[in-house]
Amino acid sequence: MITLHTNYGDITVELDFEKAPLTAANFLQYCRDEFYNDTIFHRVIANFMIQGGGMTADMAEKPGRPSIENEADNGLSNDTGTLAMARTMDPHSASSQFFINIADNHFLNHKGKNPQGWGYAVFGKVVSGMDTVDKIKGVATGSTGHHQDVPRDSVVIERVVVSDAYADR
Amino acid sequence: MSILLISDLHLSAERPEITAAFFSFLEKSAARAEALYILGDLFETWVGDDDPSPIVKNVTTALRRITKRGTHVYLQRGNRDFAIGKHFSRETGCTLLPDYHVANFYGEQLLLLHGDTLCTDDRQYQRFRRLIRCPPVLGLLRRLPLSVRRKLAARARLKSMASNANKAENIMDVAPDAVVAALQRAGVQTMIHGHTHRPGAHALQANGKTAERIVLGDWDRQGWVLTAQPSGLELTSFDIEPLE
Repeated sequence: MITLHTNYGDITVELDFEKAPLTAANFLQYCRDEFYNDTIFHRVIANFMIQGGGMTADMAEKPGRPSIENEADNGLSNDTGTLAMARTMDPHSASSQFFINIADNHFLNHKGKNPQGWGYAVFGKVVSGMDTVDKIKGVATGSTGHHQDVPRDSVVIERVVVSDAYADR
Repeated sequence: MSILLISDLHLSAERPEITAAFFSFLEKSAARAEALYILGDLFETWVGDDDPSPIVKNVTTALRRITKRGTHVYLQRGNRDFAIGKHFSRETGCTLLPDYHVANFYGEQLLLLHGDTLCTDDRQYQRFRRLIRCPPVLGLLRRLPLSVRRKLAARARLKSMASNANKAENIMDVAPDAVVAALQRAGVQTMIHGHTHRPGAHALQANGKTAERIVLGDWDRQGWVLTAQPSGLELTSFDIEPLE
């Protein structure tokens, strides 16, 4: 398990190495590299999702590793409490940014292997700390540059702890 | 104090970033407004109020959240989602408006419409519209099994794309005579519509006086909102972010 220690509380997640091997390994590597330390949840839309893992508190983008293949066709659904990879319009463009679904967002699921239907790859779920997620989804947001749903007070991932259970992953 | 107007979001599972932008707009802007008017084509297709597709479910929840919190949401049907019915309006708490609606914003009367009825030069479409909107035909359509309606909607969409590709640009815009006639019938000097995806404001003469036609934009790379305040109307756009 992996615990994201944020200034709003802890969020513990479990990754699905069976169904999303590339995406789970990618996320784990970013955690081990301490890449997420001092990144923020920079896009918070109540009733939809909270997104983070790629920007610092001053809204500078943190360059990640090369993008990964989209595993959205793995049968996992964008349900409340699941973790999925953010990306650009290009289906295979996810790198470090991820989001936590705070609603059953089934319209984000895989529908077909084309640019419109690829969907967003789910690779894990929150196992404890949904109360923290609920606190984060309620924060006041506003526009910063061309980002429109940025929390007024930064929601910072201060530290990430990978549990021993993932030592051999 | 403000009233917001939008149209032509064409929400579909194929463009989740538009749905995300709509959710953000609802939570941030619409929730703080007195009222939100959606002037048609909120959805790319509408096969019936019984459609259990995820996007309809999520949009229903999102709309209900803001109507419950006190924002009045008014909805007109567009040429794509003309089959939206009472069930959807009940579930969301939105008020369905007729195709032509005169609203009073801070003392000013304005005619609100989707805009497809103004494109009278497109005779082929107007014939189709008359047929599909007549209550017996619409009633019959609503009684077809969902799977059949889905197929019909997909086929109609393809046909429309193919035929629009061959239509001259000007017949897909509004006909000036139709605009003047609509303003005269309503007895007002300002109309607001969408449909043509040509956002802007146009001055004209109607009822022997200066009149104005404001066109809302479709949501694609940018979203468009018309804000009505006691001080006047303002059309603005904003960037739509991918889920990156």
